[in-house]
Amino acid sequence: MDLYADRIDDRIEAMLEKVQKASRYTGGEMNTQVKPWDKARLHYGFCFPDTYEVGMSHLGMKILYGLVNAQEDSVCERFFMPWTDMKALMEEEQVPLFSMESRRPLCDFDMIGFTLQYEMSYTNILAMMDLGRVHLLSRDRERDEPIVVAGGPCAFNPEPLADFIDAFMLGDGEEVTLDVTRTIRDWKESGEPRMECMKALSQIPGVYVPSLYETDYHEDGTIREMRRLWDGAPEKVRKCVVTDLNTAYYPMEIPVPYTEIIHDRIMLEIMRGCTRGCRFCQAGLLYRPVRERSLDRLMELAVSLEKSTGYEDISLSSLSSGDYTCLAELIRDLLRRFKQEHVSISLPSLRIDSILKESLEETQKERKTSLTFAPEAGTQRLRDVINKGVTESDLIEKVTDAFQGGWSSVKLYFMIGLPTETCEDLDGMADLCQKVNRCYFTVPKDQRAKGLRITASASSFVPKPFTPFQWVPQDTQEMLREKQQYLKEKMKTIKGVNFNYHESKTSYLEACFARGDRRLGRVLLRAYQKGCILDGWNELFRFDLWMEAFEEEGLDPAFYAFRARSRDEILPWDFIDAGVTKEFLWREYEKSQNAVVTPDCRKGCQGCGIHKWKGVCSYAHAGTV
Amino acid sequence: MRMLALFEKGERLRHIGHLDIMRAMQRALRRSSLPVSYSKGFNPHILLGFASAMPVGAVGKCELMEVELDSDVDAGEFEKRMNEALPEDLKVFSCRPLPPHGPALMAQVCAASWHLKILDDDLRRRVQESIPSFLEKDEIPAMKKTKSGEKEVNIRPMILHLEAEEDGTLDMTLQMEESQSCKPSMLLESLLRHNGIQDFSVRYALTRDHLLGRHHDTLCYLEDIA
Ligand code: SF4
Repeated sequence: MDLYADRIDDRIEAMLEKVQKASRYTGGEMNTQVKPWDKARLHYGFCFPDTYEVGMSHLGMKILYGLVNAQEDSVCERFFMPWTDMKALMEEEQVPLFSMESRRPLCDFDMIGFTLQYEMSYTNILAMMDLGRVHLLSRDRERDEPIVVAGGPCAFNPEPLADFIDAFMLGDGEEVTLDVTRTIRDWKESGEPRMECMKALSQIPGVYVPSLYETDYHEDGTIREMRRLWDGAPEKVRKCVVTDLNTAYYPMEIPVPYTEIIHDRIMLEIMRGCTRGCRFCQAGLLYRPVRERSLDRLMELAVSLEKSTGYEDISLSSLSSGDYTCLAELIRDLLRRFKQEHVSISLPSLRIDSILKESLEETQKERKTSLTFAPEAGTQRLRDVINKGVTESDLIEKVTDAFQGGWSSVKLYFMIGLPTETCEDLDGMADLCQKVNRCYFTVPKDQRAKGLRITASASSFVPKPFTPFQWVPQDTQEMLREKQQYLKEKMKTIKGVNFNYHESKTSYLEACFARGDRRLGRVLLRAYQKGCILDGWNELFRFDLWMEAFEEEGLDPAFYAFRARSRDEILPWDFIDAGVTKEFLWREYEKSQNAVVTPDCRKGCQGCGIHKWKGVCSYAHAGTV
Repeated sequence: MRMLALFEKGERLRHIGHLDIMRAMQRALRRSSLPVSYSKGFNPHILLGFASAMPVGAVGKCELMEVELDSDVDAGEFEKRMNEALPEDLKVFSCRPLPPHGPALMAQVCAASWHLKILDDDLRRRVQESIPSFLEKDEIPAMKKTKSGEKEVNIRPMILHLEAEEDGTLDMTLQMEESQSCKPSMLLESLLRHNGIQDFSVRYALTRDHLLGRHHDTLCYLEDIA
């Protein structure tokens, strides 16, 4: 290595001796490699804007990391958000944010890519660029600075980050990532000005380059118009869809960290998308249509991943694994195949049906962890409003099954602040917990496991773009707090129930950014400059500083979070074609107001809009709309 | 069969703790497809034992582990398969079968030899010069961390060897038996105190060179007698 690297290495070593959890920064994990730097034509810095433990648990990162490194002419290295102790040391010692692999500074890369999983990670993006010596604002970046791209679910409302990110990738990343890397590589070698790269990127389907657009506002703060600054830029940006998951790239090896991370196992994505149509769920709509991986392909992946990682756990991942067509078969095949290797399979907890019970009992006997259920709302009426197709009898049946199967610990997830929620709905949550409690005691004492534990969690509802609730106001802080208190008192009276709820301030800010416009970039920058980082970590979240930032920028957070939008308002993300149409979403919104449900569209297409893309949705048959 | 494997824990992994290294070894064993034995019972785990836990921050030149195998494997084959399955900074460099019913490695460790280099040049010299007077003392108090807090122990008898090399790097052998065990950091603190220094946040590089066992009252490399 060159001299510079040696010097930096020594300083990094000195810092590692001082920080907590140095293993977050050491690198050298199994299945990672330091590819020769000079031989590569493109250097990609993959940035996860949260800590190592969070980032390394993320499947998308592993896919893209493998994908880019599989290209002979490219190098992909990882960056994570350092914890506060490390960040302070880096600033003091003037060591730039360095990659896990070759320990090179972020600014040395040709392009850097952020994955946007949740709004509360946005300040980390700024912090990482700052630490990595990359100009925060796109317009300030020099010719030889990295091109900054971003993708992930939050890219579907990219506007709050428009000042900082050069290009967004919308939708499935497996194909567009390579188009983007090649375009940047060619531009870099062409010697043309930065603007040419922006223009070229905007020509790739699924890529949005915010600097080629401009937004005007009405006096009341709503959007008047979004204008193109260059005629060549597309009027609408359509998300990318990988039509066949079986041929889509999937890594055969994934990095295996030394230190324990949140999801320390093999994750097998068995399918993408969801047809259930829960109205609060952004992922369910963004990842449409439903695509499944075949049994053969999954088996092939499982075998090689088990071999290359040595992991002893495989978890099946998707938005609703219970809907995978051949789930029982898949699980049986996996169990059979890995019997010798002592591999355990974690199952989607909602499907403990009789076919599986036997094989389950055989392998899972040692891990009776808790089972999770997500009724989301307390009454059937409200569940109909949000189109959550779970009935009380369903739940009771499954819970009883679980108690009989030897589980004694159950988690129930609820949301408070859902549209049309009343006191009755809150009472319903307590009621449900009461009933679950009773279920447990109906199982004879000698047949049930000891120590009933019901954990009821209530998160606060955040309206998201591209959902039928994209127009609705969020509950105010006072309302949410009142509801939390009310529930807390009620739940206290039920034996075995442990009630917890999420900090509503975080949800408030999340709501602002989820549906924010371009102007919020100023607030973000200011909040960061005031010291906001790692906002997703309660102990570090500085709500007061955020409110100051809003105030100083002359923007009202209530405008973003608590305001009902009208049907004809131009929403900041309207220029994106996510497949589902605004008409469909509005129709769903109206149905929700009357508590009318929409059935799972595998049983009949509901005309969400994806069907207009020929051959993309396998459930959309002509004439069923 | 029981296989003895000697391995190195490299520079890059200095900060990885013992449990993490153990997990990495278990995963490597799984990747290697060697016929490793599992424990019986509800939560089967690989039968793998380390001679000694590695302190965080240290490089290990010759660490020992034992692995139980369901069927006989040639030592060379074992080494080859393991190295294919191990990350770059963790490598096996020698293997041989162990007597089937011998005591666990952990029970045979008596001492370890270390190299400790204080990074600051002046301090290193100063400490170097103080070694003769340090060793003259009959009692060298040091603070030992125990479950219930700290207690003072006399480490003089546990220092089996202490010498400075030309550049001031400390070459030492410290006893490491359950009741009588001295860590390099304890010795270093005593040395600093001997030099009138109370601030122990000194930067140093630490390497464990060998684990030692006893054979007819003489200390030998553990791998030679196990
Ligand atoms: S096109 Fe029809 S079947 Fe396909 S996801 Fe949309 S509503 Fe469902």
